[in-house]
Amino acid sequence: MSNRKLFRGALSACALLACSPALAQATSDTMTTDARPHGFWITTPAPEFKAAPGKQISIPLSVINDTLSPRRASLALDGLPKGWTWTLKHGAMEVEATMVNPDATEALTLDLKAPADAKSGTYALDLKAAYDQGTTDLPLSVTLADLPAANPTLKPELPALRGGAKTDFQYKLTLENPGLEEQLFTLDAAVPAGFEVSFKKGYGSDEITGVPVKAGGTETVTLHVKPNGSVSAGDYPVKVTATAGGKTAEADLGLRITGSPELALNGPQERLSGSAVAGQETSFPFTVVNRGSAPAQAIRMDATPPHDWKVAFDPAQLPALDPGQKETVNVSVTPGAQAIAGDYMLNIRADAPGASQDAKFRVTVNTSTVWGMAGIGVIGTALLVLAMAVLRYGRR
Amino acid sequence: MRREGSPFTGVMTVAFKEAADHMTSARMHLIMLLVLLTAVGAVYAAIGEIRQTTAEDPYLFLKLFTVARAPLPSFSSFMAFLLPLLAIALGFDAVNGEFGKRTMSRILAQPIYRDAVLFGKFIGGMIVIAIALLTLWLLMIGLGILLLGLPPSGGDMARGFAYFAATLVYTGVWLALALAFSTVIRAPATSALAALSAWLIFSVFWSMITPLAAGAIAPVNPLDPMTVLGQVHVQQALARLSPVTLYGEIAQMLLDPASRSVGPVFMSQLEGALIGSPLPTLQSILIIWPQIAGLFAAMVLLFTGAYVVFQRQEIRA
Repeated sequence: MSNRKLFRGALSACALLACSPALAQATSDTMTTDARPHGFWITTPAPEFKAAPGKQISIPLSVINDTLSPRRASLALDGLPKGWTWTLKHGAMEVEATMVNPDATEALTLDLKAPADAKSGTYALDLKAAYDQGTTDLPLSVTLADLPAANPTLKPELPALRGGAKTDFQYKLTLENPGLEEQLFTLDAAVPAGFEVSFKKGYGSDEITGVPVKAGGTETVTLHVKPNGSVSAGDYPVKVTATAGGKTAEADLGLRITGSPELALNGPQERLSGSAVAGQETSFPFTVVNRGSAPAQAIRMDATPPHDWKVAFDPAQLPALDPGQKETVNVSVTPGAQAIAGDYMLNIRADAPGASQDAKFRVTVNTSTVWGMAGIGVIGTALLVLAMAVLRYGRR
Repeated sequence: MRREGSPFTGVMTVAFKEAADHMTSARMHLIMLLVLLTAVGAVYAAIGEIRQTTAEDPYLFLKLFTVARAPLPSFSSFMAFLLPLLAIALGFDAVNGEFGKRTMSRILAQPIYRDAVLFGKFIGGMIVIAIALLTLWLLMIGLGILLLGLPPSGGDMARGFAYFAATLVYTGVWLALALAFSTVIRAPATSALAALSAWLIFSVFWSMITPLAAGAIAPVNPLDPMTVLGQVHVQQALARLSPVTLYGEIAQMLLDPASRSVGPVFMSQLEGALIGSPLPTLQSILIIWPQIAGLFAAMVLLFTGAYVVFQRQEIRA
């Protein structure tokens, strides 16, 4: 019964196709030269395709109405094996019929899903559109096969960067998703300890941990790497991974830090003050630290003392200081013999090619207690004179 | 002939009796009234000045002693000027007054040596002066707390106390001087005049005499700038013969923590120095210690002179 109906529909469709030039001729003389057939069709750019079992694939359809009146067509899929599911969509809406205006085309999507345990092989399907004057159909051929899923790729635009220990390194990466579905990729980067890492999408400002990429699409991701400020010069590897659905894209990046020495001067017990006696030598243990990322060579110690003061360093020169190392320098300060009591500023400097550090050391000069003893001597003498007077003239 | 026992037996008895006599004497009351009025006036003026001009100072309390508002001088200059007067009032007739009243033989009829009389008179005078100064000092601090509305810091108190002690020694020098005059000179009026002249010379005229004397001793050669320095040193040495100068330097060093030296200072000595940073209290005392020692030695030596003269005097009933 249904077979007969189908057969009749196909016949009538052929009849329509056959008589349409005559119709066109009847309506307009200008179209007589037009040999183009008119009618109502369903087309697709992919009539034969491959699909993986258990995964949904979407086939784009075009419903073309090249007749003079609007056509309403009910759509059905024939030849569907058991367990397969299908839906027709117009945009986001599920439809079972479509209506096309004259000289217009409607885009539909056929979502097809074979069960995961479907056997491999070629399946013939037929999409039929039944409209009031007949039926048109679209034969489709699906070959089920286990398609090897393509791996996502991560491509850096510039894979090797160079900068100082405080540079913000930025790598632009292109993440491609060749799969059949949109995926959320989790981003991660393996860096040396102490480095700070953040991801941003394109040129955006939001820090992200993952980025969605459409099927077959690409996305630009920027990786920011901030090295530990005290890191020493050298090459550091950075490994970026983007993971989604068990598949991982990797990219190896190079980061070269060009170091520079940076000196720091610390006074005794981290204080920058001390006291000394006028005319007498006092020693202060200073510490020179290289806080930079490259060794400092030939560090010379120097000071600008006030007039008549003597400042000596032991040692006066440090041959080399590696990053993170410290060295003690004894600073012997001899205030001038005529220095008056009070606070003085002493500039102490550590000089190396490419780095230097000043320390302002506050020296409190104390008066020598020699004059204090002399004063006590004067008082003692006066009291002695009194005692002798009492001994000589006492008890009258 | 050799006598037995301590020569100082009965010193404190004489001293307390002397102090009690001073405390009740009209002379003492008048002079203390004068000192109190001027001191309170100076402090009151200083507080008004501090309130108007000084916004913040780590040693605000010490400013009470040094800040002045015209026409009144500052508290410390008042003390330098008036405390000798108090000491002279206490001491000018200490010995010759006893002779004048013919009471000396009665005192010496007691079972004490002559030593005890002079020591007792000096110590009695010092007790009275100490009580008066302590009262004045506490009054100052009380007025400061009341009118400034803030308590003195530890540094303030230490420096204030050192200043109090130095003032006591300074007044002691004048007491010893007055005692010496009263021993040497028989007439109380003459000894009072002698002590007052010394006071006037040192507190008023000494600053005029020293430049003249220095100019004569070390003339300045216009072609040699070092002679200018030599003259400054000579002038300073002469000025320091006066206890008033020494006391002024002590007051300056103790009451102004930022001052570092009392003598001339070369620019080269100030290179790298942090001007205005306060000196530790002990350092200030150490710098001014020679002056304090000098005052103390002068007091002891003046007293020794008076003692020697007194011991050798002939006393008749």
